[in-house]
Amino acid sequence: MNLDPFSRGTSALHRRDPRVKLVVATAYAVVVAVMQDMAALVPALMLAVLLTGWARLPWRPLLRRLLVVNGFVAVLWMFLPFTHPGTPVYHVGRLTASREGVIYAANLTLRTNTIVLATMALLGTTPVFDLVHALHHLRVPEKLAQVAFFTIRYLDVIYREYLRLRNAMRVRCFKPRTSLHTYISYAHLVGMLLVRSYERSQRVYQAMLCRGFQGSFPVYRHFSLVRSDLVFGTIMLLAIGMLWLL
Amino acid sequence: MGSNVPLIELRGVCFRYPGGSLIHDELDFVLQTGGRVGVMGQNGAGKTSLFHLIVGLLQPDSGEIRVLGRPRCQERDFWEVRQKIGLLFQDPDDQLFCPTVGEDVAFGPLNLGRSRQQVMQIVQRTLEALDLAHLQDRVTHHLSGGEKRLVSLATVLAMEPDALLLDEPTAGLAEGMVERLIGILNEHVQTCAIISHNRHFLERCTDVMVQLHGGKVVPF
Amino acid sequence: MHISEGVLSAPVLVAGGVLAAGGVGLGLRRMTPDKIPAVALLSSTFFVASLIHVPLGPASVHLVLNGLTGLVLGWMAFPALLVGLALQAVLFQFGGLTTLGVNTCIMAAPAVAVSYLFQPFAGSLNRILVFVSGALCGALALLTSSVLIALCLVFTGRHFLEVAQLTVAAHVPIMVIEGMLSGFTVLFLRKVKPEILGAAADVISPA
Ligand SMILES: Nc1ncnc2c1ncn2[C@@H]1O[C@H](COP(=O)(O)OP(=O)(O)OP(=O)(O)O)[C@@H](O)[C@H]1O
Ligand SMILES: [Mg+2]
Repeated sequence: MNLDPFSRGTSALHRRDPRVKLVVATAYAVVVAVMQDMAALVPALMLAVLLTGWARLPWRPLLRRLLVVNGFVAVLWMFLPFTHPGTPVYHVGRLTASREGVIYAANLTLRTNTIVLATMALLGTTPVFDLVHALHHLRVPEKLAQVAFFTIRYLDVIYREYLRLRNAMRVRCFKPRTSLHTYISYAHLVGMLLVRSYERSQRVYQAMLCRGFQGSFPVYRHFSLVRSDLVFGTIMLLAIGMLWLL
Repeated sequence: MGSNVPLIELRGVCFRYPGGSLIHDELDFVLQTGGRVGVMGQNGAGKTSLFHLIVGLLQPDSGEIRVLGRPRCQERDFWEVRQKIGLLFQDPDDQLFCPTVGEDVAFGPLNLGRSRQQVMQIVQRTLEALDLAHLQDRVTHHLSGGEKRLVSLATVLAMEPDALLLDEPTAGLAEGMVERLIGILNEHVQTCAIISHNRHFLERCTDVMVQLHGGKVVPF
Repeated sequence: MHISEGVLSAPVLVAGGVLAAGGVGLGLRRMTPDKIPAVALLSSTFFVASLIHVPLGPASVHLVLNGLTGLVLGWMAFPALLVGLALQAVLFQFGGLTTLGVNTCIMAAPAVAVSYLFQPFAGSLNRILVFVSGALCGALALLTSSVLIALCLVFTGRHFLEVAQLTVAAHVPIMVIEGMLSGFTVLFLRKVKPEILGAAADVISPA
């Protein structure tokens, strides 16, 4: 499974310290999520576009993701302008769209796209393992970080197990349909995956015990914060602060 | 079908995994109806990949795959192929996923649209033929490696294929189990290609031996 | 199953965050070190399972399986689902950072609730009872999740009422599929590896 297609890159953003990126991304997302004002949202979006450009993300997967997000936003556009009370601006059939509703939906669209772009640029450019590592440094409860670590570590193993079982179904002429046989077969597939994973987890734990596991992982690799990380972090937080005040 | 039309015919097939090196290089491979071919080759030579190409689990980069006299390109062409050509996976754990042996054997015939009644009969018949009737209600996941191997063979035979592709069927089997497998193959299977690292085994249940070497199939 | 970034109001986001933190805290307290690999691997499995698309008439729906997650993990479904949702947010931009709390509650709260309701029956010897409890687990968890989504939307603004109603309605057919699949999966587990269903049992009963 190609988990993080954006993380392999060479842009300056890719090289920034994951901790800094995580803090900046969180601050950015929180500030934008509560923004109500178009005057602040437009510069916020522009900053996100700037970051995306700076990260030089491959545009195909980028567009595909934006499309998915905006598919949901499009559904909201079919409702919000009409259900939000206010001064009428246009009519579709017997429905009346309000000015306030249109602005509300537009703001929502800006918020969604800004946060998605910023997350892709800031977090997408970091390998997931490094993010977990950064969480660990940022004092996230240790057990939670461990669960995240193992979840990611075995995601690909289990995904490949799933693909092999699905192939086994295909070579025996399985065709998914709306039928009881299909649902039972998928349930067996899911059940088998669960059983295999559970048994694997027992073996993993035994292997950990054999290597002296006592409940916590010593951190082996440390990130090093260089000056450009500090500069980047400071500038970004200042910019986000200004957006907040706008 | 004319007797000289091969059951399986690969011509000039080139294949590589995405981002990997070339595994099959202008490979030709033929399996005639009634033919029994043993396939040998180094680890990583591309034997498993060859079988997966034949049943359409992988797609060649170039070249032609003809099965039952017709070119096969897309997923829907391969549905018929999989009905006629049974593949036994290298690892039986990849093949078995239903709770009990009986249900796993029934899975293929059910997919082919057989009625419940017919399926019950097929399951009975297949398990009896392989001397596995006592396993019918056992939980597949709890069987031993050798039992799993025979059960996966049963799941393939239950679809009554014209030919079998067996990927290292003797791996992990004890001496006695290998004998039993040879007996089953010689009694119930007419056309087959068998991957194995065990020469004696291949000598006893195939007529021809080939080798996968340098991305091509060459005589052994 | 999630709500995207930028939709919900601040009070809803904050409330979701606080409740999720509580749930995750409870889950972590019950997660002794020996359970960490099991919780994590089951969490990756549910993540993979959620990529499966199941046909439903001319369309197809992807599995959610939060009821099953709850049945297997009890309170530990909170940390497991939080990790899964965080991954989806970072990797696929499904959901998001600010909605992480809300989305965790939407998925995990019903999961925990159904595990309390049905855990005692899932290990029963009666196959029909096992199937029915598994099916209700899957169906009710999904239904409750969609109702929670609807509530989050309506608390954000009255004008979301129609969207909220649509959300719940759209989940009714999916609920049927989730129910059936969860029922058969629980039957499978009951037969092949009953201890998975018991894994949460000692966790649900107060520690
Ligand atoms: N999914 C995959 N992705 C990338 N490379 C793969 C994949 N599967 C196999 N390969 C590579 O392709 C080559 C051929 O693999 P294949 O499984 O066909 O070999 P094989 O002849 O069956 O070997 P063995 O005797 O060990 O079973 C190997 O070098 C292997 O590393
Ligand atoms: Mg092989």
